Amino acid sequence: MKRKGLRFYLRIYRKILAQDIKSKMSYRADFIISTIGMIFTNIAGFVSFWILFRSFPSINGWSYHEMLFLYGFSLVSLTPVQCLFDNNWSLRQYVYTGDFIKYCFRPINLFFYFQSEVFDIKGLGQLAFGIATIAYSWSKIGLGFSALMLLKLIVFLLTASLIMIAMQNAAAATCFWIQNSFYVLDLAFGMKDYAKYPITIFSTVFKFIFTFVVPIAFIAYYPSLVILRPDEIPLLSWLSPLVGIVFFYLSYRFWMYGAMKYSGTGS
Amino acid sequence: MSDIIEIKNITKEFKVLNRREGLLGSFKDLFSRNYKTVRAVDNISMTVGQGEIVGYLGPNGAGKSTTIKMMTGVLEPTSGEILVGGSIPYKNRTKNAQEIGVVFGQRSQLWWALPLVESFRILRDIYQIPEQNYKDMLELYQSLVDIEPLLHKPVRQMSLGQRTLSDILAAFLHDPKIVFLDEPTIGLDVSMKAKIRTLIHALNREKKTTVILTTHDMGDVDALCRRIVIIDKGKMLYDNDIEHLKSFFGSYRTLKVRADGDLREQAEVIQGELPDMKVWADDEWISVLVDEEKAKVLDVLGKLQQSHSIRDMKLEEISTEEVIKKIYEEGVK
Repeated sequence: MKRKGLRFYLRIYRKILAQDIKSKMSYRADFIISTIGMIFTNIAGFVSFWILFRSFPSINGWSYHEMLFLYGFSLVSLTPVQCLFDNNWSLRQYVYTGDFIKYCFRPINLFFYFQSEVFDIKGLGQLAFGIATIAYSWSKIGLGFSALMLLKLIVFLLTASLIMIAMQNAAAATCFWIQNSFYVLDLAFGMKDYAKYPITIFSTVFKFIFTFVVPIAFIAYYPSLVILRPDEIPLLSWLSPLVGIVFFYLSYRFWMYGAMKYSGTGS
Repeated sequence: MSDIIEIKNITKEFKVLNRREGLLGSFKDLFSRNYKTVRAVDNISMTVGQGEIVGYLGPNGAGKSTTIKMMTGVLEPTSGEILVGGSIPYKNRTKNAQEIGVVFGQRSQLWWALPLVESFRILRDIYQIPEQNYKDMLELYQSLVDIEPLLHKPVRQMSLGQRTLSDILAAFLHDPKIVFLDEPTIGLDVSMKAKIRTLIHALNREKKTTVILTTHDMGDVDALCRRIVIIDKGKMLYDNDIEHLKSFFGSYRTLKVRADGDLREQAEVIQGELPDMKVWADDEWISVLVDEEKAKVLDVLGKLQQSHSIRDMKLEEISTEEVIKKIYEEGVK
């Protein structure tokens, strides 16, 4: 048997993803309606943000455009979880009906195989919206531009996105132990709404929670400080890629542990 | 013939929460640590040679699928040894997966929206099947069944029979050493059943693939298996040639009659008249198990007609369930 390296997995990933996109497009009405729905969700989110900040030109020293940057940053870093890990929402169903076992019989990584099966194309609208918001606020703040800054932005966006993926993995994996994991998952996913605010506006208790317990401050706040406040970057900002990777790895182990335990008892 | 599966004294135990009744009971269960141990598989040993087709039988809940899960590496045995193709399945799950194919009767493992041929292409990549082998396999399939109409049809548009057929083809695609088939003909019509049996038989012959078949359909067993293994309540009851089994039980047939009056009462009367035969009744039929070496079915029917007004009758060959029931009640000599 040949070794299964990154290239092997990338090729498989592309093929399996393509099948899902094909099947989604084969239900055309569904596809169009959900795309329109996603656009309106984004517009509504932006409008409420705009209304809020029309009356408060700055919050805790954060200007309107800086807040907008944060908002865009959170939108982009939340895209991968939306697009690539959407099957986590169905995990509970697979486990409940016993269909999950079909994933156990392939000679490839179980977590990979499961997540690869669904690609939520609607997330791409959010991505476009997020990029536009970042670009707009970037120019308004007058941050200037260099290749290094762009590289930083990309690296920090990618690692920040791992946090939300990790939270969702962990929340979804609870279904291996409890019946109705939907509420856990929904709660974890709802947390993302707090990610778009600077953590300084919260009380000390929540600051602590959002940094060390449910680390949503790493989804946008800490990483975007690297771009927005280059003179006073706290240590936690530099640590955010590490935090992302560690949390993702832990959630992966937790997910796999649950899967193994499940296939040990389910029928 | 070399042994592909070696199982020595495997046992699998599950911890199950002792559930209490009622709402209050359920509430108490939330905090309860009161587990009992259930032994799903109890000290089973067997070896299976390369190229064999083994019928793995037993009533629902006998421990069949637990054993299969241990062989496929999904479950770890509580104790005992299990070797598939020389390695321990649960320790090398992905390696083991490369060597086996699995079909679960009602659960398709194919991609729902894709035409079969595209599913095959993804499987080719996942299992890293060399191009030549892949082509040869498709040619073999073409010579065995009419797959042309299936290849370009999305799985979700297929009938149950076509889907089962496709699932079986997909399971054999990477030329695995062993294929596990769990009730492959369940819910299919007679001609589809025959088609699938022929296909399994041909693939087994061509590729020397070992097939472990669980089923409740004696027709599957008769068509495919030389050897059967029967388990019940986790214990092995029988492991031998099917001919051997038939010599014990083949002479039994079930005579079913419908008579006027309450069937259960009638059945008791009949039992009195035929003390050395087993008689039972359900909502529709009174059944009499006739050992044809001792009495002829027609004689029994004649006898019944004298004292009861028989409205209808039919004759059934002994079913798997009954064989197993008999084995369980009386054991094998």
